[in-house]
Amino acid sequence: MDSRVVNALAAGSVAAFLYLGFGGLGAAATDGDPAALVKQREQTMKSMGGGLQTIAKFVKGEAGSAADVQAAVAAITEASSKDPAVVFPQGTAIGTADSDAKPELWQNWPKAVEYWNGLKPATAKLTEAANAGDRAQIAQALQGVSKACANCHEDFRQKKQ
Amino acid sequence: MASRAAVKTVIMVAAVALAAATGLAGAGARAADADAVRRGEYLFNAAGCLGCHTDEKGGGKPLAGGRALATPFGTFYPPNITPDPEHGIGRWSDADFIRAFREGRAPDGSYLYPAFPYPSYTRMTDRDLLDLKAYLFSREPVAAANRPHDLSMPFSWRFLLAGWQWLYFDTRGPRPDDPAKPPEWNRGRYVVDALGHCGECHTPRTTFGGMEADRYLAGNPKGPNGDKVPNITPQPRFGIGGWTPGDITLLLETGLTPEGDVVGNAMAEVVRNSTSKLTADDRAAVAAYLQSLPPIGPPP
Ligand code: HEC
Ligand code: HEC
Ligand code: HEC
Repeated sequence: MDSRVVNALAAGSVAAFLYLGFGGLGAAATDGDPAALVKQREQTMKSMGGGLQTIAKFVKGEAGSAADVQAAVAAITEASSKDPAVVFPQGTAIGTADSDAKPELWQNWPKAVEYWNGLKPATAKLTEAANAGDRAQIAQALQGVSKACANCHEDFRQKKQ
Repeated sequence: MASRAAVKTVIMVAAVALAAATGLAGAGARAADADAVRRGEYLFNAAGCLGCHTDEKGGGKPLAGGRALATPFGTFYPPNITPDPEHGIGRWSDADFIRAFREGRAPDGSYLYPAFPYPSYTRMTDRDLLDLKAYLFSREPVAAANRPHDLSMPFSWRFLLAGWQWLYFDTRGPRPDDPAKPPEWNRGRYVVDALGHCGECHTPRTTFGGMEADRYLAGNPKGPNGDKVPNITPQPRFGIGGWTPGDITLLLETGLTPEGDVVGNAMAEVVRNSTSKLTADDRAAVAAYLQSLPPIGPPP
């Protein structure tokens, strides 16, 4: 065998090994590091919140177009389609990084899942309203989604510090 | 005998007229009642009576007695306020009802705990209180016994509330409108102070549970359930000074904040049961009133 080929293969496998190793570590870092998981959840929440904010501006007649509303609804739909077990992994309650999630969320897990799943029908109504482009209908659907968010924040989130 | 017949006729006519008159009066009274009930329902929502007196999450019957209210003084169990004569308030007269709200006293004269926010409701007008009573008395009576409060001594001694009332309870009743201010402001003050009892949560309290008047609505680090309750004076950094009137009314309608967050904890219930059910005009009045307040920063 040509030694250059051997070297190249060796280099390649080392690179692959390094890549996989670090990649694996990288994945482990977000899977296992509670602080990073809290960050991820807060990001998910923020993207839904940002979506609602855009829609609220539209409803109030302050800013935004029907297209902005549709994009915002898409962002909320995507975030709320995540698996609740991924958004709220064990070990990420108050006390972990800057988490505001009350431990009761895991003690009453079926309730938390029910609240999370409650986002789906509310968001579906919002999608419908956004597609129709009717401001009054959007305003009503916005209220429905906020209610679904509030149910969970009422029971399972401490006041943001 | 003609005169007998004449008398008979007169009596009959009179009786018919009387019946018609009472009948009409009855119908009139019923219409007036229906109006009072309708106005009372609005007040009931604006004043947030449901949440405390109903075990909503435990599936309790409406107004038949509330969930436990944990306070630093012990646990209160809000009583049955359905018109059941035995277990509810079915035997209360109008005067009894007004006195409970205006003076914080039960029909037997004993003192009521201010966990029932009568220090705010004392500002409701007689007319509003009677409408509220009409609504409550139109609800379904529920024969469910009250659960006694679970308070530590000396807070379990009702007679001590005489001292509490003397120290902290402002007995002036409804405030006259301030003629220097627009009607919207006066209405906003009434909705915030008398009905919405926003200060019960948003104003900090002294050791014995009086409201700190000079920090009106400036936030309460130890609110219900130990929640932190935010400052809602128009202070730019620590309050809601950066909010537009539209931001405030949207929050009251939906719970959504200008940062795209959704309020939780006790405020979620306030939005769900009360402020989302106000008229748009009343929400606008609340916003105008809040924005007119002196801005207050954190305590020194
Ligand atoms: C099943 C429960 C649940 C539902 C449903 C829910 N949230 Fe949350 N939300 C939480 C919890 C718990 C936190 C605290 C997260 C933390 O600090 O780790 C939070 C935090 C937030 C935050 C603050 C994030 C930060 O930066 O700290 C925003 C904004 C938010 N949620 C928006 C929303 C919106 C908008 C919706 C509805 C579309 C929603 N949430 C639905 C539980 C929920
Ligand atoms: C923050 C919780 C809370 C709210 C809000 C509240 N209540 Fe109460 N209420 C209580 C508690 C606690 C008591 C018991 C007080 C006591 O035992 O001294 C009470 C007592 C009462 C009583 C006296 C009943 C009796 O048998 O002595 C009446 C009547 C009443 N409430 C009606 C109302 C109405 C009407 C509203 C709305 C305008 C309302 N409450 C709002 C907590 C509340
Ligand atoms: C039973 C207690 C309670 C009552 C009554 C109450 N609030 Fe609140 N309020 C809260 C709590 C707790 C929060 C924080 C919500 C959270 O944890 O997300 C809050 C939040 C708010 C906010 C958001 C402030 C911010 O900086 O995000 C506004 C505005 C507000 N309340 C206005 C009012 C008004 C107006 C009333 C009267 C109509 C009222 N509240 C009555 C407890 C209460």
